[in-house]
Amino acid sequence: MYTMGIDIGSSATKAVILGDDDRIRSKEIELTGGDNLRSAEKVFQNALLAALLNEEDVHCVVTTGYGRKNVPFADRHLTEISCHALGLNFLCPNAKMILDIGGQDCKVIHLDGNGQVLDFAMNDKCSAGTGRFLEVIANTLGVPLEKMGLQSTLAKTTIRISSMCTVFAESEVVSQVAKGSAIPDIIKGVHDAIAERAVMLLNRLGLREPIAMTGGVAQNIGVVRSIENRLQKRLVIPESPQIIGALGAAIYARKRVSETIH
Amino acid sequence: MILKYFQELRSGIETKLLENPVNTNAREKYVLETAKLGTRLFSRNNKIAWCALMTPYEILNAMGITSCYVELIGGFLSSKNAVGPLITIAEQEGYPVESCAYHKGITGAMLQGMIPEPEFIIGASSPCIGGFAILENMARKFNKDLFILDVPQEETNESIKYLSDQIKNMVKFISEHTGKSLDPESLKQAVIYTNQTRKLKIEIYNLLKQIPSPANPYILRDFGFVSPVFDGTKAMVDICETFIEEFQNTINAGLCGVTGENIRLLWIQNRIQFKCSIKKTLMDEFKVNIFDDINDINWEPIDPDDPYIGFAKRMLCYPLNFNAEKKLELLLNQVKEFKIDGVINPCNWGCRQVIGIRGLINNGLKEIGIPVLNLEVDCVDSRNLAEGQVRTRLEAFLEMLSHNKRVPLSQST
Repeated sequence: MYTMGIDIGSSATKAVILGDDDRIRSKEIELTGGDNLRSAEKVFQNALLAALLNEEDVHCVVTTGYGRKNVPFADRHLTEISCHALGLNFLCPNAKMILDIGGQDCKVIHLDGNGQVLDFAMNDKCSAGTGRFLEVIANTLGVPLEKMGLQSTLAKTTIRISSMCTVFAESEVVSQVAKGSAIPDIIKGVHDAIAERAVMLLNRLGLREPIAMTGGVAQNIGVVRSIENRLQKRLVIPESPQIIGALGAAIYARKRVSETIH
Repeated sequence: MILKYFQELRSGIETKLLENPVNTNAREKYVLETAKLGTRLFSRNNKIAWCALMTPYEILNAMGITSCYVELIGGFLSSKNAVGPLITIAEQEGYPVESCAYHKGITGAMLQGMIPEPEFIIGASSPCIGGFAILENMARKFNKDLFILDVPQEETNESIKYLSDQIKNMVKFISEHTGKSLDPESLKQAVIYTNQTRKLKIEIYNLLKQIPSPANPYILRDFGFVSPVFDGTKAMVDICETFIEEFQNTINAGLCGVTGENIRLLWIQNRIQFKCSIKKTLMDEFKVNIFDDINDINWEPIDPDDPYIGFAKRMLCYPLNFNAEKKLELLLNQVKEFKIDGVINPCNWGCRQVIGIRGLINNGLKEIGIPVLNLEVDCVDSRNLAEGQVRTRLEAFLEMLSHNKRVPLSQST
């Protein structure tokens, strides 16, 4: 029996196919773009292809993420908060807390040993401190997003960047470039701004260890280190942190299929 | 535009009442009373007063003066999807984007000439200094006198006396500005109606505590805010009696307000005033029922022969006049009484009332195992609603509560 989870985020759409032997059979990531359904269909087909499966082999498809309700071929949908808890618990059963920084939001979750959400908090009403914030700054600096983390490790000093507003922060970065500040120093300032917001949110909910970090931003070593320095704690980073929501959706799909059978 | 709306609403319900008086429900009677008030307020033929939320309306009703608090108009404009352009006008006048949209809506309407000129204005220092500022602006705009009720926060013998003396002075102020005197017998009758309404409302809320509740989440929305403007009237007594009859019939018939009621939420202060699809999510997908903290009746009956002390005491124990600790005490009691699964704090943009005590409410409720969701929404201006973001928070909260219903928190770790 195979189930599929699809996480339609604001930046990327992810799909995971899970077998009943607990093996992840395939995982696919595509940029979401402007058409949620098209992205979902694309990762759906790509995930099938990678797992060498046909559509009829997949017993249940669960969608999550902001586009979760826009996929007519899905059997069910569940929020990304519940899915991240399920997905992370599958990979890191000891984790008690998740920090997920996605494209347009930042969420912290307390979870129990069964992958159930005990409590959660999300960023307030703007996108500052999220993946989109990082993308905007990367574009402004002309540094590829995937190289931002490594670049920041070369910083010699810290430049303070406002964490209040993405647009204002972008103009601050432009000013710093004009002043001749070193690019790694600016990037470190940006990472610190993200970390400051993330740590505030973690503390608002209350720290529970071990803390895991998921979402695309967890792949940025600069942000991870900055958060760890502020917390004075190590974060658990699962392999492929971007697909945790989709994995959780696939696990939820499997539970639903099991309930139906039994 | 506003007058036409209220006139049409009124004539629609009145026609239905004439055709089928037996089948008119309590909600329709309540809406009819609101439509009548709106018609009187906006017809520009009546002596009217714009007031603060906590004003003792039975005094004004006993004196035959049409009156209303300004936030009700802001909420009404939002519910009719008419508030956006008015808010823009208020912002052009200098109101910050993140200030209270109830007040920006009424300000914009006033600047557009949509708000009828009052005979006088009554403001209060509580619960909201922003609302008081709007009434000050209104007084300046219409060149009318403003009477200010200075409401202390603590209930002591001194504060009761201080406030009751002000209410007596308020009566003098009204008489001076309208030429009308307050007939003691009319006031006494109004207070008798108020006490009857109080008793009936307690009965209504006790019926709502039933599991499942006989009411749906929307039938009594904003009741605690709006219904006090009808205090001291026979109409309000009739409305409450009809609600009781309906809820009792629902219970006796084995029916309920939300089929398959699964989750019971306590909603703090402001409901979202405009139409959005969140309602569907709550009712259809998660079988949620909602109870409002603001509906609570925690004041004692008022002495009809000497009502001023009772008016003052009621104002002092109004939930929005409470300090944070008393507010939390009230919420904890409601959570227990209504068997609440989770609490929603919408944290209306620009409202310091709810945002300021957010942390204390969160911690206090979590101590007894009640999860709280802070939504961060503008309850009035639909243009500020990031529906996907709000929906995700709400659905995740309800998914969590649904799971908690199956597995108690203490057993799930």
